[in-house]
Amino acid sequence: MSSKLRREIGHDEFDPKGTLALIAIYFVIISALWVFMYFVEFLGNDLTIVGTIL
Amino acid sequence: MNIHTYEKFWLAASMVLIVGFILTITYGTVGIGVAMVDDSGETINPENINDHPKFSSPGVEQVGENEYDVYIQVVQFAFLPTEVEVPAHSTVNIHLTSRDVIHSYSVVGTNANTMVIPGEVAEVTVNVDEPKEYGVICTEYCGSGHHNMEGKLNVVPEEEFEGDSQ
Repeated sequence: MSSKLRREIGHDEFDPKGTLALIAIYFVIISALWVFMYFVEFLGNDLTIVGTIL
Repeated sequence: MNIHTYEKFWLAASMVLIVGFILTITYGTVGIGVAMVDDSGETINPENINDHPKFSSPGVEQVGENEYDVYIQVVQFAFLPTEVEVPAHSTVNIHLTSRDVIHSYSVVGTNANTMVIPGEVAEVTVNVDEPKEYGVICTEYCGSGHHNMEGKLNVVPEEEFEGDSQ
């Protein structure tokens, strides 16, 4: 399937919006999971060992 | 070097994540005081545990207004004393040592757990809040009776706490 229409674009004209959207979604998911894991699952799981750093 | 705007964006985003991870851990350590069990506890001859001033009569001892020291001997296959009672809303320093092999003291369903190594005293400090019964198990395989090792950490209301429990 070769098209006769060919267009050359420069480095900055290529905007992979789909990839950008995917990465943005991954970012949001990872951030939310981290916050959930650390603040809810870990810190909310008393008893927690405490102490002072020497 | 020509870097695409989008590429700059996700490079920056990954940096933000890493910095965010480090910041949350720092907050946990500095802000809340989450600590690791380390080897700062004393060493002890596992053959002579009963000569130790505290471990010879393990149990709970009040050491401050709202602070309690707990000494527990761990053996195949029991925690001595099996049940420990502490008052609610207090700071509890648990000292553990083993008479024989490596055990662990794991308060089930919580972040509080440590290995218990013969010759070493493991120190664990926890702040207990509301009254609750915690189960304790050994999570280091220690022999044929490993699965029977269980203990209890009972957090009781302040007014019901009766002091030293042996």
